[in-house]
Amino acid sequence: MRTQAVAGALAGAPPSISRWRSLLTQESITTIVVSLIVAAAVLLPLATLVVSSFRVLDDMGFSTTWGLANYRALIYDPVIPGAFVNTLIICTGATVLATFLGVSLAWINARTNCPWRERLEPFNLIPFFLSPFVGAIAWHNLAAPKTGLLNAWARNLFGIDGYILNVDNIYGIIWVTGIFFTPLVYLFVVGSLRRMDPSLEDSARTTGAGLLRTTLTVTLPLVAPGIISGAIIVFVTTAGDFGVPFKLGAPYGYETLTTQIFSKAVGDDANHYLGASMSMALGAITALFIYIQQRYIAPRSFTTVTGKGFRPNVLDLGRWKWVAFVYNIIFILVAVVLPILCLLVVSLHPVWEGEIILSDITLRNYVKTLAFWRPDSIQAATNGIINSFILAFSGATIAMVLSLVVSHMIHRTKGAGSRVLEILCVIPIGFPGIVLAMGVLVTYIQTPIYATLWILLLGYITRFFPYGQRNISSVMLAISEELDQSSRMAGASWLTTLRRITIPLLKPGIFAGWILLFVIFLRELSISIILYTSGTETLSVGVYYLANFENEPLTSALSIAQTVVLLLCIVIFRRAAGREALTA
Amino acid sequence: MENQNATPPYLEVRGLVKWFGNDRAVDGISFGVERGKFLTLLGPSGCGKTTTLMSIAGLHGIDDGEIRVGGVTYTSAKDKLFMPPEKRDIGMVFQSYAIWPHMTVTQNVAYPLEIRKVEREEIDSRVADVLRLVGLSDMAGKLATQLSGGQQQRAALARAIVSRPRLLLFDEPLSNLDLKLREQMRVELKRIQHEVGITSVYVTHDQAEALVMSDDIIVMSKGHIEQMGGPHEIYARPINRYVSNFIGVANLLEGRVIRVTEPGRGEFELNHGNEHVRVPCCLGEGVSEGASAVLSVRPEDVEATREDRGAPRLEGSVLEAIFLGNYVDCRVRWGEFEWKVLAHPRERLRPGERVFLHLNPNHSLAVQP
Repeated sequence: MRTQAVAGALAGAPPSISRWRSLLTQESITTIVVSLIVAAAVLLPLATLVVSSFRVLDDMGFSTTWGLANYRALIYDPVIPGAFVNTLIICTGATVLATFLGVSLAWINARTNCPWRERLEPFNLIPFFLSPFVGAIAWHNLAAPKTGLLNAWARNLFGIDGYILNVDNIYGIIWVTGIFFTPLVYLFVVGSLRRMDPSLEDSARTTGAGLLRTTLTVTLPLVAPGIISGAIIVFVTTAGDFGVPFKLGAPYGYETLTTQIFSKAVGDDANHYLGASMSMALGAITALFIYIQQRYIAPRSFTTVTGKGFRPNVLDLGRWKWVAFVYNIIFILVAVVLPILCLLVVSLHPVWEGEIILSDITLRNYVKTLAFWRPDSIQAATNGIINSFILAFSGATIAMVLSLVVSHMIHRTKGAGSRVLEILCVIPIGFPGIVLAMGVLVTYIQTPIYATLWILLLGYITRFFPYGQRNISSVMLAISEELDQSSRMAGASWLTTLRRITIPLLKPGIFAGWILLFVIFLRELSISIILYTSGTETLSVGVYYLANFENEPLTSALSIAQTVVLLLCIVIFRRAAGREALTA
Repeated sequence: MENQNATPPYLEVRGLVKWFGNDRAVDGISFGVERGKFLTLLGPSGCGKTTTLMSIAGLHGIDDGEIRVGGVTYTSAKDKLFMPPEKRDIGMVFQSYAIWPHMTVTQNVAYPLEIRKVEREEIDSRVADVLRLVGLSDMAGKLATQLSGGQQQRAALARAIVSRPRLLLFDEPLSNLDLKLREQMRVELKRIQHEVGITSVYVTHDQAEALVMSDDIIVMSKGHIEQMGGPHEIYARPINRYVSNFIGVANLLEGRVIRVTEPGRGEFELNHGNEHVRVPCCLGEGVSEGASAVLSVRPEDVEATREDRGAPRLEGSVLEAIFLGNYVDCRVRWGEFEWKVLAHPRERLRPGERVFLHLNPNHSLAVQP
């Protein structure tokens, strides 16, 4: 009865048509088309950027030759090397601060019995929805040496000379960037903490490990991929952030790479080629970090959710829960309440000199920045509002459709193509918005899309669709592949499976990604500042314009308007998508 | 299986090869299943059984060979034919059950019929029928996440059989259940499969499961087939040491067949220290005179007594004797070797005692090493 390997000839030659049919499936056609689109969008700007960085502009600014002069400038320029060092210091500081705050707050909210944690969570996430540039403006108004509200109070209440706080320096940049990017880490960690099978923790505690030990040796290592991802994203985002150093650093002699790229590459004596070489330097740092993250984190992704359900439970902190509560409240106070209140106060004054003068209070600043129908309104501000809504809505939608298809290809189709796509999706994360924007600028400056909203849309999607993709992927990895496979076995095609099983199961991830992108686009500054022209200002460019050419109260007024819109987004989307969407 | 001229079996796998990187996960295996039969692929993890199942399902491609069901080619590496999984008309029960958490039990079970564009009334009646068959009628409106493990298992089975597919595949469906539920589900799965009469391929590493449920068992290791046969045959006449060890419990002693006395019978020489003990035995397939072989004797085929019945004399000392009512589970040291023996309770063996072992010659099988 032993069965030998049957070596006999296989019978029957099929028509050659079936060979083609096996290649041209819904799945393979979509894969090829999407891969080509993504490859063109991602690789073209970067390739042009590399080429541009070797073109040297002559002294007259008319013709170019090939050479390394742009790279020599990185070392011998009087400002750029210092900007390089400042950038590294700021990124490290902000990453440490944001990771510590983000992980601790996520843990308090997801795994402990901290009082009113369900109510605290939305407030913890608010800074994430707001613009760090606006945060910098607010903190400048709070803690600038002379005009800062907190310093003015200190002088009046305690009779102190000078100031107690000063954010117009590197520490101020780290502080504002750190608290504003805390929710990035939080969002990366809280989902997996909440989904974590509590029996993993319970089993550690039954071995006699205490609460702290269990948290440090079991809970946090289990979500380590999320923590590291969050930290790296904070680092790279900080490196590419333009608004905070522009507000708190550049005017006081603290230049960073982004402020240097901006001031040397855009302006009256613009030198795109020098901007390109600086972008290459900045991109090299961030790309290296992303590369390290990919190598380190990729083999360590855990599937902690199966098709089986389990009950969630939380740790009892005892009396310490009040410490956790106060800690959380303080974060909300410095990250949300104080900055917004301060902006509101400043925006109601005709001029701001650090004093609240009740008799001067006026709404004139809001009229000038928001009332687009009036001839005396400031065009840069009113244009920005309309443009940003168009960009955010269309950009988020297109990017999520792309993300969904791409994620599915990476995680469910196992071929050479999926590996290529995976790499393509990491590349934009490796390069800050301002760098990619430089690439987009030098690539398309001679095409009709330059000076339209299309170039901004292209820049936005190329840079940020991987965020959406990662959002979907994290949920997809947590969902057993057998749920998809069983639909195929039930007779459903690839597309039907996508529509009826995969997408409904991914809904939280899709919503979360859409919100993430909508908000990012609505407050985007570093790409917009490079790619905008007169008429295609965005909301944040409007704020920039006011900060640069008008006064603090007008800037605060538009900042408050942007903040109100973003806060409204939170409310609308929390209602539409539910709690799970924000924390998935 | 060897008769190539007869009509081909319903499910036919020929020369299947599957590589994972540099690992030849399935190494050119061939087998067939007759219509309505229940075949189990049995082996430890990494033996290639799940890979074989996934190849039949079409959830991955194959590198060589051919798979046919009812005369239809599903996959053929030579002809570069690959039928996508949704066209194969196969029902499958997954290890994780894979019940869709965003649907109710009814929606889960109705899904394959909706895909096949069956009329609404017919869907309703067929779903009701199949839920009754698996005993889930009360749970019809519940969300999948509200079900217990065993209930999810039943729902998964209902979903797999509701469209009356050509073939039913099981990927270790009981391994996530607790022992009691597993034993109950074994019997139930077999009953339901028998009732609906769908040809089935079942993958498991649990030999008890395989013995209870199967019409045929294929024992696999390292990507190839060790033995194929009915449960009784696999148990009573294992082809080699590996199979004998994997199915049930056996005493396996190395030695040599020194003489063939009559067709199928001979004398086996056991190595026992410096002396050689000769015992009569049956000859397994592929075992010839003079060849080194392994003697396989099940514990129930060894008798342990105080009385010496002469040659062949196997004298040892009792290491352990556990009284279990209808028999005594004994371990007997014999030189280097420890015998597993099911002794009769009336012998009242006690640890340390000298005993003589008598092997039943009809069930002492010399097999390939």
